[in-house]
Amino acid sequence: MTKNIIPIGPQHPLLKEPISVNIEVSGEDVLGGSLRIGYVHRGIERLAQERTYVQNVHLIERICGICSHVHTTTFCYAVEDLLGVEIPPRAQYIRALMCELERIHSHLLWIGILAKHIGLDMVFMHSWHNREIVLDIMEALSGGRVSHAANLIGGVRFDMDAEHESMVRRKLQKLGDQLFGVLDAIRTDPTIRARTIGVAPITADQIREYSVVGPVARASGVAVDMRRDSPLPPYDKLDFNVITYPEGDAWARTMVRVDETRESLKLCESILDQMPEGPVTTRVRRKVPAGETVIRAEAPRGEVFYYLRSDGSEFPARLKIRTPTLAALSLIPVQLSEIRVADIPVVLAGIDLCIACADR
Amino acid sequence: MFEGLFYLFVFPGLAFQVFCGLAFEWVDRKLLARFQRRVGPQWYQPLADLIKLFSKEDLLPTGASGWVATILPLISLAAVLTAGLYIPVAGFTPFSFEGDLIVIVFLMGIPTLAYYLAGMTSVGIYSILGGARSLLQYFSYEVPLLLAFSGPAILSGSWSVAEILKSQAELGPFILFQPVGFCLAIAGLIGKLKRDPLDIPKAKSEVVAGSLTEFSGGKLAFWHLTMDIQAIVGIFLLINLFFGMPLGISPWINTLIFSGEVLLVIFILSASSSIFARLRIDQLASLGWRILVPVGIIQLLFVILMGV
Amino acid sequence: MLRALIDALFSKADTVQYPYGPVSLPEGFRGAIEFIPERCTGCGLCVRDCPANGLELIRESREDFQLWYYPARCAYCGQCQLTCPRGAISHTNDMVLPTTDPEGLAVLLKTGHKNSNKKQ
Repeated sequence: MTKNIIPIGPQHPLLKEPISVNIEVSGEDVLGGSLRIGYVHRGIERLAQERTYVQNVHLIERICGICSHVHTTTFCYAVEDLLGVEIPPRAQYIRALMCELERIHSHLLWIGILAKHIGLDMVFMHSWHNREIVLDIMEALSGGRVSHAANLIGGVRFDMDAEHESMVRRKLQKLGDQLFGVLDAIRTDPTIRARTIGVAPITADQIREYSVVGPVARASGVAVDMRRDSPLPPYDKLDFNVITYPEGDAWARTMVRVDETRESLKLCESILDQMPEGPVTTRVRRKVPAGETVIRAEAPRGEVFYYLRSDGSEFPARLKIRTPTLAALSLIPVQLSEIRVADIPVVLAGIDLCIACADR
Repeated sequence: MFEGLFYLFVFPGLAFQVFCGLAFEWVDRKLLARFQRRVGPQWYQPLADLIKLFSKEDLLPTGASGWVATILPLISLAAVLTAGLYIPVAGFTPFSFEGDLIVIVFLMGIPTLAYYLAGMTSVGIYSILGGARSLLQYFSYEVPLLLAFSGPAILSGSWSVAEILKSQAELGPFILFQPVGFCLAIAGLIGKLKRDPLDIPKAKSEVVAGSLTEFSGGKLAFWHLTMDIQAIVGIFLLINLFFGMPLGISPWINTLIFSGEVLLVIFILSASSSIFARLRIDQLASLGWRILVPVGIIQLLFVILMGV
Repeated sequence: MLRALIDALFSKADTVQYPYGPVSLPEGFRGAIEFIPERCTGCGLCVRDCPANGLELIRESREDFQLWYYPARCAYCGQCQLTCPRGAISHTNDMVLPTTDPEGLAVLLKTGHKNSNKKQ
């Protein structure tokens, strides 16, 4: 049969963010593909050099619409590291709580998108219905559904009182009740299994070769999790499992996220249980002493890496951000062979694309 | 003369079928919305969508043949409308003859072929893929569907839908004798209507809108109307073949029973589109030929033995 | 999956009929900006920290200044509320309504004692 090129993107119903994948097909068989990125490059690293550290917290928050909190958390920890300040323990726990809520909401969003791509609109809607509860919690705590603005350099913006805490517990309980039915249904549903098992497997060697992190790596049996490997303050005191699946196919990638959602729910509750009393902010200077630092944190999609250099002024001298999606993007051309056209959405959804993060 | 025109254009012809098609679309969308915890559209939404599409600019890509693109939706619409004329609605059949079931099945196949041609004459890659898929899918569902339809025909000893309906009034609904055949017919109907989970030719995340990607304006409106009327004709046919109703009591009671049965089938269609993920085309082919066809043949043998 | 379907069928729709129905916003929601002119001293700290250039201070002298607010640029981040030492500027939990004319929104939050009207 003749070869054809299917252009997926920059505009395509499959994609929520602009990226261009040209896929070479012969009939229903995919032969290969090439990738083009950079459609939402906003030059955030350069912009960051022209803004003060205080303003940068809000700029960094707008790197990504889903994992916005973990970006500011990492940035604030980097600045506080240079300042030589340790924030109060209560602030650390609140930051971690927001991180875990964000992980639940990101994974639920992802499950919905996978379901949508394989034609299960009902699961998509139900998954996002549950995600709405998480967004409501975050909105009630921080004042914003997506741009939470929860962090400031030297602590967090808001404190939780007893009323907040009981509200969060009540809503998480409700979320757990609703969610576990949906998650079990996803695990056992025969059509989801038929569409994902054995699709586009990635070996652990390929994961290491392409430096892929996060749930995609854990689905291939590579247990990397920055919460355990390079823990930011509260995570070294918390107990959680790093979920890994050995198979490496789209099914394993789904199950890793399903299980991590449950794990994060448990983690949220233990964070609430262990939450210490005390202030949530410390006073910090506006000028950051000269020096450089590296901070890594586990975003919902994997490791985010922040390199920050200061020259002693109010403005950062250099800020380098590496996001997990960029590494995972390099796996797309690898996966686009020996699959069918119908598997393309599963492959593209499987690595949980966040183009805004990758392009910055 | 006047009576014939009334049958053609009002009941059970054009006006009635367009109304039923739009009503079907609304019930279906409303049910899907309820399954997804949404409110769903207002009752006039399908009509409003249709009017909106007719008022839109009609574009065609360079290289596509204009008159072919115009004539294909019209031919398919005419085919399903004609098929609808031969199907008894609540026991009412103006045009019935021996063998009309075969004519109906033949006419209902025309939209699929037109859909394939529409994909092939548009120049986009999505259309071509969608068209090729629709033909592949046709080969997978059509045989089980025919096997399922021939069950009631053999049981009643006639290939006329009206006769099958009459013999059901005596013997009882055929779904009791051949539940497997009914399931096959539902699966085949889903495939014919290209509905979720067998919406492979127009899978949005893969081929955008399949053959209809390059269509717009009035032509697209005709395609949508064709799909709706095809759905309602298929549902009417299924009900006449498998549910039946006691005839000759009162037309009002028949209408009531008929509407209830239609709603039941729509509910089954909507629910199965909600709870199953879309299959791959190779999975559909193996499902059709490895499972549905053998099951259909066994069901048919069972019917033949029972009839003897 | 069937159970989820039946559950959904018999439960209320989640849809919020937004423009026609009420929207419930939590207490701490960062909505429209509220300003208390008496407290403002014109120190300009909020202007310095605003990450979106949403505030502008036009200063003639210590007493004579104008503070402009441009809602179309505002990121609703809450930094001005945090920075202001006298609590003159804060968020309410009112919804910010959409508009088609971003330029027409600019609000003069405060003029100094001499009521000069330089900026239109």
